[in-house]
Amino acid sequence: MVYIENMIWLLAVLPVLSGLICRLMPSARLVMASTASGVLVIAGIDLWVVITVFLKGPMTSNGGWFRLDALAAYHLAIMMLVFLLSSFYAVSYFRNEPDALRLNPGSARRFSALWHGALAAMTLVLISNNLGIMWVGVEATTLLTAFLICLHISAVSLEATWKYLIVCSVGVAFAFMGVLLLAASTGSPVAGAPILQWTYLHGIARTLDPRLVKLSFIFLLVGYGTKAGIAPMHSWLPDAHSQAPAPVSAIFSGFMLNMALYCIMRHLPIVTIAAGTAGWTNNLLIFFGLFSILIAAVFIISQHDLKRFLAYCSVEHLGIIMLGLGLGPLGVFAALFHTLNHSLCKTLGFFSAGRIGQAYGSHDMRKITGTLRVNPLWGGGLFGSILVLIGVAPFAIFMSELILLKAAADAQKYFVIVLFLIGAGAVFMGALRHAIDMAWGEKPENAVSTSDSLVDLMIVIAPMAILLILGVWMPAFFRTMLDLAAGIVTGGRP
Amino acid sequence: MHGMTENIMAVLLLINLALTASSRLAGCIGLVAMQGIAIGLLPLFSQEGFTPRGFFLAGFVVILKGVFFPRLLTNTIRNASVRREVEPFVGYGFSLMIGTALTAVSFWLGTRLPLPSSPAGMSLVLPGAISTILIGLFLIVSRKKAVTQVLGYLVMENGIAAFGLAVVSKIPLLIELGILLDAFVAIFVMAIMIYHISREFDHMDVDQLSTLKG
Repeated sequence: MVYIENMIWLLAVLPVLSGLICRLMPSARLVMASTASGVLVIAGIDLWVVITVFLKGPMTSNGGWFRLDALAAYHLAIMMLVFLLSSFYAVSYFRNEPDALRLNPGSARRFSALWHGALAAMTLVLISNNLGIMWVGVEATTLLTAFLICLHISAVSLEATWKYLIVCSVGVAFAFMGVLLLAASTGSPVAGAPILQWTYLHGIARTLDPRLVKLSFIFLLVGYGTKAGIAPMHSWLPDAHSQAPAPVSAIFSGFMLNMALYCIMRHLPIVTIAAGTAGWTNNLLIFFGLFSILIAAVFIISQHDLKRFLAYCSVEHLGIIMLGLGLGPLGVFAALFHTLNHSLCKTLGFFSAGRIGQAYGSHDMRKITGTLRVNPLWGGGLFGSILVLIGVAPFAIFMSELILLKAAADAQKYFVIVLFLIGAGAVFMGALRHAIDMAWGEKPENAVSTSDSLVDLMIVIAPMAILLILGVWMPAFFRTMLDLAAGIVTGGRP
Repeated sequence: MHGMTENIMAVLLLINLALTASSRLAGCIGLVAMQGIAIGLLPLFSQEGFTPRGFFLAGFVVILKGVFFPRLLTNTIRNASVRREVEPFVGYGFSLMIGTALTAVSFWLGTRLPLPSSPAGMSLVLPGAISTILIGLFLIVSRKKAVTQVLGYLVMENGIAAFGLAVVSKIPLLIELGILLDAFVAIFVMAIMIYHISREFDHMDVDQLSTLKG
């Protein structure tokens, strides 16, 4: 097993290799097909590694530069699930694009290269034990995904890309100041001490200067929070999500935001131990979480663009996850559970929005009516995913939100429950109205029906099935996974 | 030796103020290049000293920030055939006043930060770094052109590099290289974006990028 443990870094290299192979394909269709199969192979290898981590404990390699523990492995599993679904969806999505937007071999290769690059950078964030390398990975995802937004160059897509690039680059630069301040809080360490290594900092967390650690956490929260789309730093998010092609929106919403939040989770135990109490960080997390939920609710009610609507839902749900992180061990458990649920559901939401948008030639929710008759599969997917997103029982998001409310009640934070219910209630009403109008309503003349393959059917059924099963029954091994991962965030021994 | 650090930081502060007041795009690019070179040389005169690692990193930074970035940006504005003025939202005189105020704030912040005692002769590094970061941010929000936003971002990066020098004794080489690689790709990507924006819009004024709302 030793040689496997020393190979963690390969996980980040695999996507690069797969990307290089995909570049050799002669036609756009072959490039997309090989991208999907490449991601499938990588997902298989990652799954094996994730299982190994949960069975045998954390792996460390290359003198402590890379490390995979339960928290990272859990996120790695979610990432691969999102990428796997999105890669297969991308094949059929681009095949159904109108002729003017169809991929030529050149743009397909560019898509594939950036897609693999993004996968590699996100993997690097998850496997790095060094907070500096982790930051480098986050910044790299911003740069690699920028051109995915403006894959089809147009005035609005360029506008969205520019905002994304500038806002996220500047935001993430703040996070780096946080990393530097955290390193500075070690005081004057022995020469050669790995001052940016997570395991090292975690081990000596009690001796860190609490004032500097708190200051660094504010920078980290604002910096990585920008990338995670937490209000009020979310200004780039609705633009980027609405202008990007649907598979790209799906990986943005399904995993990139969670990756940024993962970085905050990584720093949490260090800050909690150094500050001596969880109260200070909890209040910050609760504040930003509730703020995101309420801001998103306001924009969701008045939204007419389908993809912007889904984007604001992401702001809301990332807010919910952040809120959970601030509500003690049970809240963290709920937050991690919610991470998987939201990723699955939002991925399906953007998939459906993309295909429905192609059928109607618009993303305006007032023009999209009668989707269930135009395209039962994707219309059903859209209706189902919106219902799950707003927390309809018995699906998994309802369960994770229920656990979260219980955590708030246990912590006797009743104002959290009230504000959360106001936000979630407003979203529920606003979204349900849109969902019903879109699903039934008059079927317009211009809508084109497309044929769907077996793969399309699987892409819709699989996430819904998982969400339903997790909603009614949580398998024992999954609970153990969540407990292990949550234990790391709340500061237990890794 | 440490006197040199102070001199470099003084140059950095002056460049910051000059940036807020200069109206020519080409002049701004030159100033940011000079600042990049100063930042690249800074470690040689502080913690790093004249070591092989120090020379390697300094050479890398100087070539990247002093030669490559300015060339890239100059080519970009030539290809995009934009007007050569900076076009700020606020006047140059007022910008200069804000720049001075930000510098004053940085000196106050520099004394407030509870850092482990920094080496002797580094008293200007922390306030200088904070001032550079703040002025970079100010340039990003107060200038119309996409290129000036990129310049603001570069100034901010320079500030963060100096900040790192002031607060952390030594960052591992691998991370330094990773950060530089990110900066390199960032500027490259931004330059390509500016090219596309100017082709699509016949301008590169970011205040007109305002279709997406709500």
